[in-house]
Amino acid sequence: MMAPFYKFGLFGEPASLIVAFVTGIGFGFFLERAGFGNARILAAQFYFRNLRVLKVMFTAIVTAMVGLYFLSRIGFVDLSLVYLVPTFLVPQVVGGIILGVGFVIGGYCPGTSCVAAATGRVDGMVYLLGMFAGLFGFAEAYPHLEGFAHSTAMGQITLPRLFDIPYGLVVFAVVVMALGAFVAAEWAETKFGDGSAAGGDSLLGGPWKLTPVRRFALVLGVLGLVAAVAGNPYRGSRVTMDTRELAIEAGRGADQVSSDQLADWIVQGTADFRLVDLRGEPKFAQYHIPSAQNVPLASLSPDFAARNEKIILYSGDGVQAAQAWFILKASGFSSVYLLRGGMEEWRRSILFPSEPKGATPAESIEFARRCAVSKFFGGTPQAGAGTRAPEQPKLAAPVLPTAPPPQPSAAPKPKPKREGC
Amino acid sequence: MIEFTTTRHNPMIDPALHLWGWEVAVYLFLGGLVAGLMIIAGVRLLVMRPKERQALVCCTIGPLLGLVLLSLGMGALFLDLENKRHVWRLYLTFQATSPMSWGSWILLLVYPALLANALTHLPEAIPALTKRIPLLVTWSDFILARTRLVVAIGFSNLAVGAGLGIYTGVLLGTLSAHPLWNSSLLGPLFLFSGLSAAAALLHGILVLTLPDEELPNFADFLLSTLSRWSESKPLDARIAPTLAQADNSFLTIELMLLGLFLIGHLTSTEAAQQGAYLLLGGPYTAAFWVFVVGMGIATPVLLQFLELRHRIRHTLVPAVLVLLGSLSLRFVMVYAGQASHWPIVLR
Repeated sequence: MMAPFYKFGLFGEPASLIVAFVTGIGFGFFLERAGFGNARILAAQFYFRNLRVLKVMFTAIVTAMVGLYFLSRIGFVDLSLVYLVPTFLVPQVVGGIILGVGFVIGGYCPGTSCVAAATGRVDGMVYLLGMFAGLFGFAEAYPHLEGFAHSTAMGQITLPRLFDIPYGLVVFAVVVMALGAFVAAEWAETKFGDGSAAGGDSLLGGPWKLTPVRRFALVLGVLGLVAAVAGNPYRGSRVTMDTRELAIEAGRGADQVSSDQLADWIVQGTADFRLVDLRGEPKFAQYHIPSAQNVPLASLSPDFAARNEKIILYSGDGVQAAQAWFILKASGFSSVYLLRGGMEEWRRSILFPSEPKGATPAESIEFARRCAVSKFFGGTPQAGAGTRAPEQPKLAAPVLPTAPPPQPSAAPKPKPKREGC
Repeated sequence: MIEFTTTRHNPMIDPALHLWGWEVAVYLFLGGLVAGLMIIAGVRLLVMRPKERQALVCCTIGPLLGLVLLSLGMGALFLDLENKRHVWRLYLTFQATSPMSWGSWILLLVYPALLANALTHLPEAIPALTKRIPLLVTWSDFILARTRLVVAIGFSNLAVGAGLGIYTGVLLGTLSAHPLWNSSLLGPLFLFSGLSAAAALLHGILVLTLPDEELPNFADFLLSTLSRWSESKPLDARIAPTLAQADNSFLTIELMLLGLFLIGHLTSTEAAQQGAYLLLGGPYTAAFWVFVVGMGIATPVLLQFLELRHRIRHTLVPAVLVLLGSLSLRFVMVYAGQASHWPIVLR
């Protein structure tokens, strides 16, 4: 079993909503227990009187980070499947400032306002109402803001990739930062605080004993140190694989999809796969199977799709597709398929089917069916051709039905999974 | 109900059976709630000893609220009717095999039963009202002077309430065209859901008026105005734990009935299994498990358990959750039921 469970299809969307309910209850419960339903406690951190929010949040962040790092190092979590929010630097800085100002004025952030409202605080309910009003206002104004919201795009970037430093080092740095913040917070509370934050054991003062807090800090520091030298949690480009297993799979032909099958799926609008055209761009522009996405073999990198996605590859004659199949299999993609016979077979059997000489009635019926399929994809069946035409006709129009005619929609795009934090 | 059974002689063509909207769900919820209020009122009337006459919540406010809620529910039902002007025809006949006929007559019996129950203790509960209408005291005295009449009113509330609660489930349960509904467990299920909603509602009212409860100013003002106007004594909060305890029992039974309901479907024909899968992986799964089971049963049971163990204060939260959960149960059942049908067999 491997996490993230939802991405690996351990459960479907309904079950994921139930999981969201359970984790949401837990999240709300612990926020409330931490005292985050109280605007006074939340706002006190901006006056350095009570830095509980900073401590709790940094503890959560550091715990999650160290946990994720080590779980992915031992191979339990595939970090490449964990969703990252794309970075738009300037808009996000502006948004962060607005959120911060709202936090200071209203005393809540979005999550804690829900907690406050659920515990019956009227200011929390009013804050929640304001949040919804803001959401609607933003949605209405979005057409005018869209240009700004999409400016300074940096993609799904992480600190290690941005600064080109090892992952473990960043983990260590964040741990050090957190420990520093805890110490600084305690110092600030004794300096500015009114004593409300006192109680519990302290990192700094008191007798020199290994209190639980100090033990936690020590463990965190050690884990951070180990992480600093433990390497990259993402899977690298070098892998080992079971060649025997690959050979058996390839030998059985279980990794292939016939053009009939693919045409069926497209006609029926089955959209659970990603169709990849490996030929060069000019050929792709000339003609491609509807819903296909162009990824020339030279630019194929394991980042182009999630490793649990169903991928169907095709190229001109199938050789390049087979090479790409091997590359993707080696990169840990679980379900990669080849279109049998490639583009040539697709042309022969789907776009320009021809009736065999002296067809039996059964074959004629089959041919009629193929004619319908062919028309759906904008081809021309070679009806009545006694012998197979020596050369396949050229496709007249380069633009082919990306949005095919009346039939049940060929649902070209795979449904994007809803993500976010 | 043979006229609804579709044999699908035209493959892939379904008759339009998705006819019931929010009106029916709301009606079933309010009907169940009123049934619960009646049963609680009836039981309270029967077990009350002469000395502890603090009958306000269960025997006066409950029935009076019941009258209002039932009228709202019947209003929703009326909105759903196709031929609204023909509604009186229901009362020209009685068909023993038709749940709708049973229902329309039971609804007619509910009003006098509730009214009689409310009247019994009305003078001591709302003195202001009886000062203006002295006739109420006469009626109340008439009833209280005859022990047998009090017992009869209590039992009639019990019986009619149980009938009403079960009928709301049977109404759906007899439609074999929708396999998800086609279970006789739906009757008791809706009855206990209604009972838990009624207990939660009364508990919520009690909690609102607890003297040590800190309330927002407007609610406090509203309540004090109401009590000043009615000149009634403060509510007896001693019954609050009993109501919470009863609510937890009802919710537990409801949960067990839900389990039996699903097991019954899963071990039945393919059509019934497919119906059950609408709630176990199908499109109604999340709504059912989150709103009905999670928020409507599990969370309030836990909260009320903690309240009864004196770990947390009695609050309005379980009442709101149970009521919303009970409403969600009707919505999920009405909509998922209409989505369930017999599987297509192509030959």
